[in-house]
Amino acid sequence: MPVTFTFGEMLSARSVIGTTLAELGAEHENLWVLTPDIGATLVEFRDTYPDRFLDVGLAEQVCVGIAAGLAYDGNIPVVSGMLPFLSMRALEQVRTDVCYPNLPVKIIGTHGGLVGNGGSTHYAVEDLAIMCSLTNMTVTSIGDPLMVGEILRQSMSMRGPIYIRLAVGKKDMVLYEPGEHEVRIGKGIVAREGTDATIFTHGTVVAQALQAADELAKDGRSVRVVDMFTLKPIDEDLIAQCAEETDGRFVVLEDHLAYGGLASRIADVLADRGIHLTAFERLGIPQVYAGFGEDEELRDKHGYGLDATIAATRRVIAAQS
Amino acid sequence: MARTSLRSAEDRPSVEELEDLAFELRSKLLHLCGTYEGAVHIGGDLSAADIFTALFHYGLEVDPSDIANPERDRFVLSKGHAAVCMYITMAIRGFFSYDGIVETYGKLDSAYGMHPCKVQLPGVEASTGSLGHGLPLAVGMALGARHRGEDHRVVCLLGDGETGEGSVWEAAMAARSNELGNLVAFIDRNRQLMTSFAEERVVFEPYADKWRAFGWNVIETDGHDMAKLVAAIDALPATDSDRPTVVIAETVKGKGVDFMEHNLAWHAGSLGAADLERAMASLEANRKKETV
Ligand SMILES: Cc1ncc(C[n+]2csc(CCOP(=O)(O)OP(=O)(O)O)c2C)c(N)n1
Ligand SMILES: [Mg+2]
Repeated sequence: MPVTFTFGEMLSARSVIGTTLAELGAEHENLWVLTPDIGATLVEFRDTYPDRFLDVGLAEQVCVGIAAGLAYDGNIPVVSGMLPFLSMRALEQVRTDVCYPNLPVKIIGTHGGLVGNGGSTHYAVEDLAIMCSLTNMTVTSIGDPLMVGEILRQSMSMRGPIYIRLAVGKKDMVLYEPGEHEVRIGKGIVAREGTDATIFTHGTVVAQALQAADELAKDGRSVRVVDMFTLKPIDEDLIAQCAEETDGRFVVLEDHLAYGGLASRIADVLADRGIHLTAFERLGIPQVYAGFGEDEELRDKHGYGLDATIAATRRVIAAQS
Repeated sequence: MARTSLRSAEDRPSVEELEDLAFELRSKLLHLCGTYEGAVHIGGDLSAADIFTALFHYGLEVDPSDIANPERDRFVLSKGHAAVCMYITMAIRGFFSYDGIVETYGKLDSAYGMHPCKVQLPGVEASTGSLGHGLPLAVGMALGARHRGEDHRVVCLLGDGETGEGSVWEAAMAARSNELGNLVAFIDRNRQLMTSFAEERVVFEPYADKWRAFGWNVIETDGHDMAKLVAAIDALPATDSDRPTVVIAETVKGKGVDFMEHNLAWHAGSLGAADLERAMASLEANRKKETV
């Protein structure tokens, strides 16, 4: 029986990955799971399908290279690990061995954004910019823990590669009731309706955007929140629609460099389509090597925390048209 | 070429004193692991504690009051997740304030956190944490020292699991090719990775032969026997020799605390107050056993 969760409860995205992969392993005999020594959540799959599980040890490049090799012969490999190392150490393998031949390799991992308090070596803050630049790559960033399972399932029928970004994945806020929204790769989710402005966001800070919308609602502000969990291909029509329906007032909030991630993707669509906005603000990580601190503290320090989100949204709403 | 010495031979602690210093280091590590709320990489801290002590108190020519001295030995912590073991070792040696570490560890704007940051913490030679970076950096430092005609050493500490990274072996080849006798790699050979034991998923053996095949001078030793660690350091070749040296130090992950030893669950974790007491008791008991 499916377990249901209500908004605000905590769930571990990692455990969802573990369970989903074990289920998918039963359904697809060609599904492989590979990891560079980040296997704690993969135990169920490892123990059930030991001949389709590979832990290569500390060797991210080889892990992605092997996945590509497996995919050549019709296998569907999932590489699970930590994103700073999968997106950068193994980048050429991702680009040349996986994306170039357009192979169905799934790269899923944690530590997207200033999360986990590991310091700059352990924050993936450029990964979406990098991944979005790769031909054939589908790029996602997931905040709702249950959605991770759904995205993995949908990705099974994809021809090419997909990148799935999570935060730490140990304790994530459940954002949506199962079935509340249609979840489809390539389509944004209108997580909250509104007409005064739109906050576009993805990943772990969707919860923060919803909180900001709640706060602003107390002042009678109607703020739309769009969970743009697919950064590539981006939902262009939804961007155009929001420009029209929320008076051209946009805030983009993301736990990624403020330049190069979702804000840049949206700005590209606006420029390409000739859409003129009234106001546009981007909240994200400035170009610094951030130090230590808890997730929320770092967001506050670097100017994209809850208060900054509320303030930016107010400014955008107040802007002269 | 005679190495420059930043201190006199009498300043070096004896083996017994080094053992006491290592015990102090382990006690302080456990204390932090018992009071800090987040995870501490205690397994690989405890396995490296004797190596750190032998290096910072005996082997390395470093001066806490003159951290930019160009003649100092350079130490690169390639297994950056053992940062706190380095911070506390250096605090005991006089580089940092131990209280400062305990009070601010992992907090916003602290210089001390999970992985070492050269920018935030002067005295640390390299920002590491992503495994497989330290040895290439050390090769560059050793090459630079050669070029400038300096005779200090560059010492790099790696995890054994870390040596699965291809960059380690690329650096090993470059070090040999450039005849870097001023470069020393220490391997914390605790035979564990994060989620598996050595040989279970990744075959490392014949490990010393791999390094020999890359043209390195190999010293194999017991990474928890202070006298042997000191002997290994004494046996390092002159810095103007032409072969890099690797000291493969056989260790136990979680060394000193029974319930942490050889236990994958203690790669990283945090001790509550009750478990801290249990861990300290085990540490004390194991020390008594060794001194009998
Ligand atoms: C490139 C990279 N991949 C993965 C990690 C995550 N990680 C940290 S420690 C560790 C295991 C390291 O094992 P080993 O080198 O043997 O260190 P030790 O046993 O001394 O802790 C892993 C996988 C990392 N820090 N860097
Ligand atoms: Mg190890």
